[in-house]
Amino acid sequence: MTAQNRDDAPRTATRRPGAVRRFLATPRFFLIVLIIALVVVIGALKPSFFNGPFVIAPLLTSISIFTVVGLSQLVVMSVGHMNLAIGPMAAFGAMFAGMSFQLFGLPLWAGVVVGLLAGAAVGALSGWIIARTGVNSFIVTLAMSFALIGLVPTVYSWLTTGSAFTVKPDGLDVIGRASFATLCLGNVCGTNAIPIIVVPTIVTMAILGYLFTRTRIGRELLMTGSNVQAAELSGIPTSRRIILVHTLSGVLAALAGFLLAASTGSFTPGIGGEFMLQSFVGPILGGTLLAGGYVSITGTLLGITLTLLIRKGLDLFGVGIETLNILLGVILLIALSADRFRLIRTRRTRAAAAVAPPDDTGGDPHPTGPGADKKEEVSA
Amino acid sequence: MSTPFALEARGLSKSFPGVKALDQVNLALAAGEVHALMGENGAGKSTLIKILTGVHRPDEGSLLLAGEPVSIGSPMEAMEAGIGVVHQERNVIRRFSVGENIVMSRMPRKGLRVDWAAVRSEARRCLAQLDLDLDPETPMDRLSAAQIQLVEIARGLYTETSVLLLDEPTASITSNEADRLFRVVDRLRDQGKAVVFVSHKLEEVFAHCDAVTVLRDGRSVMEAQRLADHTRDEIVDVMVGRSLAALQVPDRVIDLTAAPVLELDGVSTSLGHRGVSLEVRPGEILGLYGLVGAGRTELARAMLGLGRITQGELRVRGKAATIRSVRQALENHRIGYVTENRKEEGVFLEQSVTRNIAVTVWSTLARAFGFVSGKGEQALAGQYVTELDIRIAGQYQNVGQLSGGNQQKVSLAKWLAAKTEILIIDEPTVGIDVRTKRSFYDLIWRLADEGLAILLISSDLAEMVTLADRVAVMDRFTVTGTVDNTHDYDAMSQSIIRLIHTGTAAVAAPGRSKENA
Repeated sequence: MTAQNRDDAPRTATRRPGAVRRFLATPRFFLIVLIIALVVVIGALKPSFFNGPFVIAPLLTSISIFTVVGLSQLVVMSVGHMNLAIGPMAAFGAMFAGMSFQLFGLPLWAGVVVGLLAGAAVGALSGWIIARTGVNSFIVTLAMSFALIGLVPTVYSWLTTGSAFTVKPDGLDVIGRASFATLCLGNVCGTNAIPIIVVPTIVTMAILGYLFTRTRIGRELLMTGSNVQAAELSGIPTSRRIILVHTLSGVLAALAGFLLAASTGSFTPGIGGEFMLQSFVGPILGGTLLAGGYVSITGTLLGITLTLLIRKGLDLFGVGIETLNILLGVILLIALSADRFRLIRTRRTRAAAAVAPPDDTGGDPHPTGPGADKKEEVSA
Repeated sequence: MSTPFALEARGLSKSFPGVKALDQVNLALAAGEVHALMGENGAGKSTLIKILTGVHRPDEGSLLLAGEPVSIGSPMEAMEAGIGVVHQERNVIRRFSVGENIVMSRMPRKGLRVDWAAVRSEARRCLAQLDLDLDPETPMDRLSAAQIQLVEIARGLYTETSVLLLDEPTASITSNEADRLFRVVDRLRDQGKAVVFVSHKLEEVFAHCDAVTVLRDGRSVMEAQRLADHTRDEIVDVMVGRSLAALQVPDRVIDLTAAPVLELDGVSTSLGHRGVSLEVRPGEILGLYGLVGAGRTELARAMLGLGRITQGELRVRGKAATIRSVRQALENHRIGYVTENRKEEGVFLEQSVTRNIAVTVWSTLARAFGFVSGKGEQALAGQYVTELDIRIAGQYQNVGQLSGGNQQKVSLAKWLAAKTEILIIDEPTVGIDVRTKRSFYDLIWRLADEGLAILLISSDLAEMVTLADRVAVMDRFTVTGTVDNTHDYDAMSQSIIRLIHTGTAAVAAPGRSKENA
């Protein structure tokens, strides 16, 4: 956001310290370096890693799905809340989509809309309870999670025999399983290493990026996350904003559930079982603050990419799923400590600046450590 | 030097990244003396206190306790060395009881268990020293802000201290409670303790302190001088670094025939107000004076929809209005509220100056798809940065990095940006230094001259007498009377105090603990 620097007021004409330097200090840069290093190492040891249709494409498919999962958590994190029910909400949304295909024979788009609306409904319910009662989002969404974990399999067992909706409308496999190799302009076709499923994820990222950087509501969400009392007293309708983020979180969870179902080919109650841990790992590794007020959407993509890359790498080396989970736990712990560490650093810089004599705006700007910079702006 | 100083700091320096907070500071505290530590915001007072109490370590310099060099590495060590402190920020645990908070630093124990009887008796002993009649079992969150402050002081008395540091202890308590505090300070002096007293209030300093050290820009520019040898103006000059002309109250002309823009007519609220009536005209500054707990802030909140009006009528520009939220107050009635709790409710510490100012105008700036132009909000915020003379390195800077006075200006700027016509300003200069205070007064007058109707809430009588055009006096959740301001401090304070007392006499005292002379 270089446009931010242009400023007509003479007093504030001091330029913000180098954009490149600031980027180098973000977790995003660190993640990119790690990802590149991992790709090089894994590729060098296991050349089979670069197999387009069998390794890269499935990896990109998971990254696409889990990035949406991460974004579902990110939107509630923007106001300092959390959603522990993302997995069950994904299952709930996917169930409605599958139901509309199987029982009502709806076309693809209509089923997707029904699924997303179902996700929106449960999300809105969580948000409404939180805003209305003031109970911590942790508790409300935990309860919501239990309720849905009970409800979803029950509905499946009522309505299906094999506990799955398997009817596929036209186009479902294109979204879930096809690659760009099926898209041809004349005789030039896309690569078979990139699945079509990246498209909905990229669109989602773009919409959220626009929301948080360019719109009034996005700004108001971040302000609410920074200080809910000040937000309320500045005229931001915080209750409505809280309901909004939980609704949005429900929609994104349902989208992720739908994408996962599309990629596996069936709608089952088990969808979303692995979502919860990943939903936190991605945003936090990427620099989104648990406490609210700062989000990073590209960071979420990078965080998810890193964890899935590690998983894929270990998979190639034949390491078992248990080890993978241990590793994921460790990564989350590190990410959470990093979150805490950055907060402390911000406080320090703040404390240091608070003792600065009031009128030293002269030449040199206040020392703004990377930690302090990080929170004030959103990256798309 | 015949007797060593109780605590002496020699040539203390401390740097934070890019900032020299303290530069060769000396401080010498004699036993049996109340030593004032003065300086503007950001002069380094709090840093000095934090070094003396082990929160920060100095880069250079030494500390001597009763003539012996000491190194204080942590707050615990400071306590063991006999240095007690009451910090500026609240440091209590709200869910715990008064007694637990007082003895927290060293819980009396019986074996592995807490000795509750000792907790109570120790807490009572400390409270008794303050003549404070509080049950140690009372939960903290039932206390008023002033009572919490007194409990913090009681905590400073818990451990055996030879040096007690009080960092702005009277910023949020009433004069009655302050008097109580000063009786304790006098007693501690008689016991031969050294007391450091940080305050922005010159009256208090001159009335109660023996010696003074003044910090300016991290240097000790006046060191351990007898206060009796100096006048108030001299101290202010040293603090500010130049002579400030005496504050001129401008001639303000208010059109008394103009229709009031804001009227309360016999208003009772769900927050406990009864029959409150007042009116503010455009261009007028109506002061709302009262003791802490008189219900002034609550009245402001009720007007903003954060409490319900149960009886009577709120009229804005002559029309009865029902306000349910701050947004409604702003968008439908152009009412803004500058809160007294700047850090908790006024600003967003982790957000940029631009966003802090633009927060109230996004709804007007927003175009299709909710788009808000970054340049647009920046230009708008920049305008108020210039207009209010907010000192920043750049608009990207986080508000948490600004000094208190500049934060307060940011908190005000957002309401000006929103083009409010009625502004409720709550305690605008709490914790703000002399120089910034004056620029704030000028600013408030200017806003009123531009036609804003201002409802000014303040507990500082001098400020009230300087700023307001009329003063409405509140006591126990009702307005007991309104006086035209003559700007004559003595006469005004008498009539205002009289109004507070009439109010008290007329209403039977409810349970709340409160002293009345």
